[in-house]
Amino acid sequence: MTSATRTLQAASDPRLGFGLGLELEAIVAALSTQYTVVTGPKQFVRRARLDTFDRRLREAGLTLEHQIVATGERLVLRGPGGASPVAVPVTGLHWPALAEVLPTGPVREAIAPVTGIRALTVASDERRRVRLLELHNEDGKTVVRVELDEPVSAAAAPAQVTVRALRGYDDQARRAGRLLDNLGFHGVEQGEDREPSSAAPTAGLDRAAPANLLLTRALSQFLATMRENLPGLLDDVDTEFLHDFRVAVRRTRATLKLARPALPEVMRSRWEPAFKGLGDTTTPVRDLDVYELDLPTMRGWLVAADPADLEPLATHLRRRRAVERRTLVRRLRSVSFERLVTRWEEELARLVDTPEADQEFQSAGQLADRSISRAYRRVAREGALIGADSPAGDLHRLRKRCKELRYALEVFAPLIDSAARRRAVADLKGLQDVLGRFQDSEVQRQALRGFAEEMMAAGTPAGAMLAMGELIGHLDAEQDRARREFDVAFARFARPSSLQMMHRLGGRR
Amino acid sequence: MKVLATYNIKGGVGKTSTAVNLAYLAAREGRRTLLWDLDPQAAATYLFRVRARVKGGSHALVGRKRPIEAALKATDFDNLDLLPADFSYRNMDLDLDDTKRRTRRLGQLLDSVADDYDVVFLDCPPSISLVSENVMHASDTLLVPLIPATLSLRTLDQLTRFVADSQGSRPEIVAFFSMADRRKRLHRDVIDAIPRDGTRVAETVIPALSIIEQMAERRAPVPAFAPTSRAALCYEQLWAEVRPT
Repeated sequence: MTSATRTLQAASDPRLGFGLGLELEAIVAALSTQYTVVTGPKQFVRRARLDTFDRRLREAGLTLEHQIVATGERLVLRGPGGASPVAVPVTGLHWPALAEVLPTGPVREAIAPVTGIRALTVASDERRRVRLLELHNEDGKTVVRVELDEPVSAAAAPAQVTVRALRGYDDQARRAGRLLDNLGFHGVEQGEDREPSSAAPTAGLDRAAPANLLLTRALSQFLATMRENLPGLLDDVDTEFLHDFRVAVRRTRATLKLARPALPEVMRSRWEPAFKGLGDTTTPVRDLDVYELDLPTMRGWLVAADPADLEPLATHLRRRRAVERRTLVRRLRSVSFERLVTRWEEELARLVDTPEADQEFQSAGQLADRSISRAYRRVAREGALIGADSPAGDLHRLRKRCKELRYALEVFAPLIDSAARRRAVADLKGLQDVLGRFQDSEVQRQALRGFAEEMMAAGTPAGAMLAMGELIGHLDAEQDRARREFDVAFARFARPSSLQMMHRLGGRR
Repeated sequence: MKVLATYNIKGGVGKTSTAVNLAYLAAREGRRTLLWDLDPQAAATYLFRVRARVKGGSHALVGRKRPIEAALKATDFDNLDLLPADFSYRNMDLDLDDTKRRTRRLGQLLDSVADDYDVVFLDCPPSISLVSENVMHASDTLLVPLIPATLSLRTLDQLTRFVADSQGSRPEIVAFFSMADRRKRLHRDVIDAIPRDGTRVAETVIPALSIIEQMAERRAPVPAFAPTSRAALCYEQLWAEVRPT
């Protein structure tokens, strides 16, 4: 059905588009040569196109609109392929919100698995004057719908005509489209809304590019990601805003560390601690987010206890999160945070013109080789030292080294062989997964003990404590499992062929 | 995907009116709905102003020479598609007989659109045949309209036994009175006397109303052209009773 749906705009012919409007008579006259045209009343429609911040619906080929007209509200879902659109009447929906607020039924079933933990937000919102034309064949059957869509304000998107095919009548939609083409309309691509920046920051650079240029681009991109995610983080739209903000901070820290030889001293003395402080500020809320997100899975771990026994824990987590979030929001709205961002921006503006601290790393290629090689050596060295008696802290440190290597492979991606990079990332990912499970179990176990003490002091019933005890037992077993899998994952990462590949990526031939 | 079939061995009892009106109501509440007009007389197809023609006919459809998706037509209503009737459906029994799992083929065909629809209505021809057997196997619910007359009850009894004797999964039978005229004593007596401890009988009674007959003239479901009429309200009540959860 969507294959034959086309959006058209008037060319320069003043008969068709004057000012903001469309010339109805000319359009109806053209279509009436082949169809009986039934003209609907003009009505104001508020159209809010919904998507997640990272545009998961668009990636999946889905379009979801919340349409509000005088007679009511509805959600309209259009999918890829030949399926007809689905329209569902709704009331009282407000955005942003998770897909769970959608009414039970086909729209929610299609949307919820795609959006996951991300909230639906308004990607574009316009008030339009819309008039629907139904084109009937000789049986009086509607075979095509034509939507005349005009902006209410001059600043909005221009007037346009959309020819909507109905399932089984695509040929008729093409025919109607041709009639409008003859009238002087031309096809247009649907306008794109503002997108979060996702392109590789160093795309388009080659190995000979100045190292400072590469670093400035990468660090500016991370700053842009922090800025983009800040409003959603402050408004608590969904937990991924904070997650992505933290990833951008971590990438900044890793880049500053890996590129020390190419960067001025001020980066180490001032900015590395500044971003560490920023990252630390966000940790308590993120940890609590992880518990809340994992709680449904944790309920499934219970064997003896009832899932309802965990309700006091859920309440405790919500309370703790509310307190920690207030602190976080206060800090991110503070003058000192604003100053940090402004000064960091100024620093990056200076960086691009600053000569490299170490002449050995003047080019992006040299810096990439050095950073990857160094990050890899650290993972290999620290990993080889892990033994049966190594404390959990050693594995945690190794996990951090792995993240640094992963970020190095991402930041310098355009400068290194892409196939080798993909293989290296796959090997590294296996090791990271094991270390992640080990460390998460360790942290969650410790935290659960802390929560239990707080909750006991507050007089929480014994059932909740017993259920939390089961969770700790499960986490303990999971940590043991991850620890046993570590040796295999590290051996795979450090095998000779992997070593050779990493050496190649690190510039050694 | 839930499949509901309007079925009765007898003709002229309100199968098509029920399928068309309930399919419209299902679609109106946002369910992706398909109505398959299995009756070569093509009354449901006519009511939706669609031409009663399927390329390749029953032979191509049943023999999977053409995908079911290629034959689907949007109706004039949101969320409601139609698989039109074709005069060749009169030979559907023969086409089914040529297939491997001859009593399961219609269900297999519907499986191919299971992701596209939440509810499917089958508007069946009046007979007991291989098509009927396929409908039994493909359906979750068999909606059986009954004109309030003694012979209708006998027909329901036959149908109940037929379903009970069939192999494999069996649909739930929900009977309801259709074309009822409360002014007729016989109708009142039959409605009051029907045993309600065996086959499920819906509380809703669809009366004989001229507005339902007007569907053929208006070529639209009753709730679409007369949304506040008594007939529309009755179909809404019936839908509330049989709506899949």
